Amino acid sequence: MIVKNVFRILPVVLAVFGLLTMPVQAEEINLFAAASMRDAVDALCDAFAEINPDATFQKNYAASGLLAKQIENGAPADMYISANTKWMDYLQGKKMVNAASIAVIAYNELVFVGMPELKVSELKDIVTLERIAIGSPMSVPAGQYAMEALKKSGIDQQLHKRLVMARDVRECLMYAEMGEVEGAFVYMTDAKQMAKNTRVLFVVPQELYSRVTYPAALTASGSAKIQAASFLDYLRTPAAQKIFALFGFTDK
Amino acid sequence: MFAFGPSDYSAIFVSVKVAVVATLISLPLAFTVAYCMTFKRFKGMLVLDVLVNLPLTLPPVVIGYLLLMLLGQNGWIGTWLLQPLGIRIIFTWKAAVIATMVVGFPLMVRAIRTNMEAIDRRLVDASRLLGAGCFDSIFTIIVPLCFRGLIAGSLLMFARGLGEFGATIIVAGNIPGVTQTIPLAIYDYVSSPNREVMAMALCCVSIIISVVVLIVHEWLGKRMGRRA
Amino acid sequence: MELRVEASKHLGTFDLNVDFTITGSRAGVFGPSGSGKSTLLSLIAGLIVPDRGFINLDGKILFDSSHSVHVMPENRRIGMISQQSQLFPHLSVHKNLLYGYKRCNSIYRQVTPDAVIEVLQIAPLLTRGVNNLSGGEKQRVAIGRAILSNPRLLLMDEPLSALDDDLKFQIISYLKDTCEVFNIPYIFISHALLEMRVMTDRVLKLANGCARELVTAEELARGSMKDSGSYINLLQLSEPQCAGDVHAYRWGDGQLFVADTGVPPAVLFELSSRDVILFKRHPEVISARNVFKATVVTAFDMGVRVGVELQCGTEKLVAEVTKKAADQMEIHEGTEIYAAIKALSFKPLH
Repeated sequence: MIVKNVFRILPVVLAVFGLLTMPVQAEEINLFAAASMRDAVDALCDAFAEINPDATFQKNYAASGLLAKQIENGAPADMYISANTKWMDYLQGKKMVNAASIAVIAYNELVFVGMPELKVSELKDIVTLERIAIGSPMSVPAGQYAMEALKKSGIDQQLHKRLVMARDVRECLMYAEMGEVEGAFVYMTDAKQMAKNTRVLFVVPQELYSRVTYPAALTASGSAKIQAASFLDYLRTPAAQKIFALFGFTDK
Repeated sequence: MFAFGPSDYSAIFVSVKVAVVATLISLPLAFTVAYCMTFKRFKGMLVLDVLVNLPLTLPPVVIGYLLLMLLGQNGWIGTWLLQPLGIRIIFTWKAAVIATMVVGFPLMVRAIRTNMEAIDRRLVDASRLLGAGCFDSIFTIIVPLCFRGLIAGSLLMFARGLGEFGATIIVAGNIPGVTQTIPLAIYDYVSSPNREVMAMALCCVSIIISVVVLIVHEWLGKRMGRRA
Repeated sequence: MELRVEASKHLGTFDLNVDFTITGSRAGVFGPSGSGKSTLLSLIAGLIVPDRGFINLDGKILFDSSHSVHVMPENRRIGMISQQSQLFPHLSVHKNLLYGYKRCNSIYRQVTPDAVIEVLQIAPLLTRGVNNLSGGEKQRVAIGRAILSNPRLLLMDEPLSALDDDLKFQIISYLKDTCEVFNIPYIFISHALLEMRVMTDRVLKLANGCARELVTAEELARGSMKDSGSYINLLQLSEPQCAGDVHAYRWGDGQLFVADTGVPPAVLFELSSRDVILFKRHPEVISARNVFKATVVTAFDMGVRVGVELQCGTEKLVAEVTKKAADQMEIHEGTEIYAAIKALSFKPLH
């Protein structure tokens, strides 16, 4: 009688024992974030790590479209921050993200930068320029927004053969800084943080392009990690929003 | 299923144009370098050897970056030579040609040298004693005897050019219609979800071009082989 | 042809130091392997530049270190034939032949392609590729190519070394005849004494990079007699006529009987000095088929034996006897003597 009971209780005891003796590991969060958010996300990760010392991050920054493809093909992401709702919807459709966790964490503005001496003060002025850098519309959200604005204002045909397709927004800015292009379409955040020789020549009117929204979400593996979920919550706190604002993001 | 748009056709055209021009310009340069390294003895030959082979050891992106530093508007040559003359190289198809030339040059020189070193010097001496001057001897004796090497070298350069990405994207940029080559177009397609079919289609075009070029080179090589 | 050379060249571990003048149209350079013969030819041809000195051909300065003059090989009008024929593999035989001819200034074009093709008998080879030729055929084409460039001087660097023995003398006759017919002076290099005697009149002896002395081919042969112990007479015979089991050849204004060895009649024959037997009086009955009167020109010391140079009509011959025999027969200049040679003693050269 006792022997039968022992055999029933033993596995349970062993399991509890095993769970209790499992070392509390620091959870590594695999974060895939849009390149345009790089500096801000770095700062946010550091701020979060100060509150939660157990959390460590493995970060992968690239164009949102490229990241979406990587995740779709099985790259080990726990959290995805996109610069565009389109790719978040795409991954949602492929069931690669936890739909319930999707939240917009910040907004951005599209601007045009160039050398201060350049006589360009509004969108229509750029048709006189020889070379303009723009993120590749096929994979870079900033490029898509810029293309949208160009098409809506009717000058896209005139600029055919004068648009240099960059792999991400940082590259656009580099070309402008080096003087190899006369101007570039970048985000306000990039202009604010990184422009050394170039200045924001004008802000692209919001009615010409869709809102630059930054949705974030957890993947299936991320949902299982407590730290990942709490990081996502942290991003929506006022403290995080302050850090976003420092870098030029807006919250409305 | 899929249809090539105007930017795809231009990508194919730009790729072939860049590869062909790079190969044609490199041939006489590579031949001269190979000739000097094979037949002439001079101080600093080791330095030349290292310089010629350097691009083989550097990642193409590094080469691209170095070329950008050299030829950019504010670059080492750009500042005092190109800008005053109003010459723009970065972000033009000429930059793509230069990138391809730099990356493929060591391959071409090697291929030509291998062949050239196998030429019996005494044949060259014989031609001189029959009245052929230096250049006469080069064109009537050396070039025909290392023709196989020239073919192999140009094939290597062309193939390398067709596939060049790293250096090209930095110095020539990705400008559809102007500098976007097949690899750059494929990269664009691959970075974008749902565009794999186009990427694959361009891959096939690339393969077809390479096969045609290979066949032409084989045929040329056989023809010259029959004469020799 | 007059070639004046005073030059020195340091090549690795080898030093060449020469100072000589060669005149005449059939000259040679003789020496053992490694003595610098090929280097000397390369200096004359202009393929190697001397360290210092000067080279003067027929009054034209080809090199002068004191005035920094160096005429390029293509402008020297000096041709060269070497051991390996060096035919251009990517050109046909015909194109090879005409390579130098096309580059020769028309005022110098004395020799024409048709004449050369005929003399060298290479008409059937013209359309063939160079790789389909035998060694002898290749050398003939090489000779033709060199001659068609109409050189002032033809240098021959051991052109026969790579050929089989029977082929050697075939090519030698082509070489001699062609240069004679077209009047081209040459310098012939070899380490083989026999070839030197056939091809040259005056020979420069070269040893260890130094030009030792200028001698005649005959003196060269006599000089080496002391080492080899016998002298080889080279006889040029003509007009063979069948006379039973021997051939009767015309030799000078006399006649020689040579045994029929089964091979086709030859022109050049070797006869060792030991096979010439001397008699004070006509032997009358003797098995040798050749007996004739001769006058002693000179008798010279050959170590243990004595060499006797004989004048036989218009031709000369060297015989060999012991010292004792020479004393007994009182052989000295002007002595009348009889020589006997067996028909079998003659060795044909090709």
